[in-house]
Amino acid sequence: MKIFGKRLFRPRSIWIRRVVQWFFFLLIALIAVNHTLVENGGGIAFLSTASLHALCPFGGVVTIYQYLTVGTFVQKIHESSFVLMILAFVLSILFGPVFCGWVCPMGTVQEWVSMLGKKIFRRKFNHFVPEKLDKALRYLRYLVLVWVIYVTATSGTLIFAEYDPYFALFNFWTSEVAVAGLVILGVTLLLSLFVERPWCKYACPYGAVLGVTNLFRVFQIRRVESTCKNDGACSIMCPMNIPVDVVKTVRDHQCISCLECTSEAICPVAKTVVFNVGGVK
Amino acid sequence: MNLTSKPLAAIIFIVFFGGIAISTVMGSWQTESSKEAATYTEGEFAGQSNPADIRGSYTFGDVEKNFDIPSSVLAQAFGIESDGAATFAVKGLEEMYAASEFEIGTGSVRLFVALYKGLPFDLSVDTYLPEDAAALLKDRNLTPEQSVYLEAHTVPNPAAATDSPVVDPVPTAESASEAVPTQSAATSEALTENLIKGKTTFQEILDWGVSQEIIEQVMGAPMPNPLTKVKDYCTEKGLDFETIKVALQVEVDKMK
Repeated sequence: MKIFGKRLFRPRSIWIRRVVQWFFFLLIALIAVNHTLVENGGGIAFLSTASLHALCPFGGVVTIYQYLTVGTFVQKIHESSFVLMILAFVLSILFGPVFCGWVCPMGTVQEWVSMLGKKIFRRKFNHFVPEKLDKALRYLRYLVLVWVIYVTATSGTLIFAEYDPYFALFNFWTSEVAVAGLVILGVTLLLSLFVERPWCKYACPYGAVLGVTNLFRVFQIRRVESTCKNDGACSIMCPMNIPVDVVKTVRDHQCISCLECTSEAICPVAKTVVFNVGGVK
Repeated sequence: MNLTSKPLAAIIFIVFFGGIAISTVMGSWQTESSKEAATYTEGEFAGQSNPADIRGSYTFGDVEKNFDIPSSVLAQAFGIESDGAATFAVKGLEEMYAASEFEIGTGSVRLFVALYKGLPFDLSVDTYLPEDAAALLKDRNLTPEQSVYLEAHTVPNPAAATDSPVVDPVPTAESASEAVPTQSAATSEALTENLIKGKTTFQEILDWGVSQEIIEQVMGAPMPNPLTKVKDYCTEKGLDFETIKVALQVEVDKMK
């Protein structure tokens, strides 16, 4: 809100992102429940009855090899996963991994748990992992990605589903979920008390795929050096611990395009950390 | 050009739901398999749905649509409550009959449907049916060979199976020497241990002494990750699990 050109109220968070996150979380949760209800003879009429696998864009990624070599999808994966994969790629090429920051329910749940962690640990929150170790661990998700693609390609089955905390989150009430998945989900939620988005940072194979688009995406997060107060607010606010205040353009492979670092949120100076195309002066 | 959060939120919704809408119109938005069984391509039954293509994800309702067998009949055959039988997934049988010594699962439904409809089925493979299913089939027009097979491949219903975990199918003199377990407990045990089932992985077969080379020779393809279930692999590669199972079982039996 502005009166006489002065900003009286500065939102500390991108509230619309929370709304979008809630929407997709509830949508996926309801569809997952509905899928179970339908399998047991019930169901909600107006809701999709799709399985979680059918609505996961990462399913499209892991089935690419089989699709190209054999012409079929990996077991339990359908055309819808392919469609979602393409849509998520389009968004990522344009705006970076907005799927991670705005849509993915697994990221949303971690953020919710982290709210409690922030209250408990305050400024210490999200700074528990030593910097060097943290930096090295950030590449772990690429190893996970390679492993997932390899085992899926060689087995033709969704082996990752047994370890996937996202699948466990929306299937913990079914017999389909594996103990390993539940354990990883539990560990992820526990770690979320100390670290923001631990699964996204260190292990998510889909985050690894989408993260690469940060290197060439169309819209970039840019800092205007001439107006920057160098207060470091943007870096402190970044859930992925990216040092926004020392770069001109954020090209970090871990950025999730949440916009929390921008002048629309934490940055106190208008039009200083912006999300744009074409660069800044 | 700057972009703020609200337009970005709108773009996310437009891209996802617009993309889904467009793909729906184009027929690309498929969230499940078509549940239409493949048909026989040649011979007397060409054009008819082939029971061998029934999948674990099929419900009894899907089987009814494909083969015109009422869900209530399937429910009676496999000991399912009639209410909601149409939505019962075939794969649920494996869990239901988990206590049974011999696997009752998707293969059993395939066998039942084939015999019920008088369609061809590979009887060289050991597939078992519960007593209720066998009783329903006795009224159908079975060939003498099918009758003998059925008699030799019948196992107690779930409740009885729970009471007596070791299930001895009723053998016949004619068939006992081939694929059917005998009444002798010792022989039955010998035949049932190291038995390839729907949950058997390649690793288990390796553990039973069959080399990777022989497995690959049987399948005519490189062996996948050893932790893969043989059945899953066959399904994905379009191989007939029952055929591969028998061929591998022969190799496993050689190791005894």
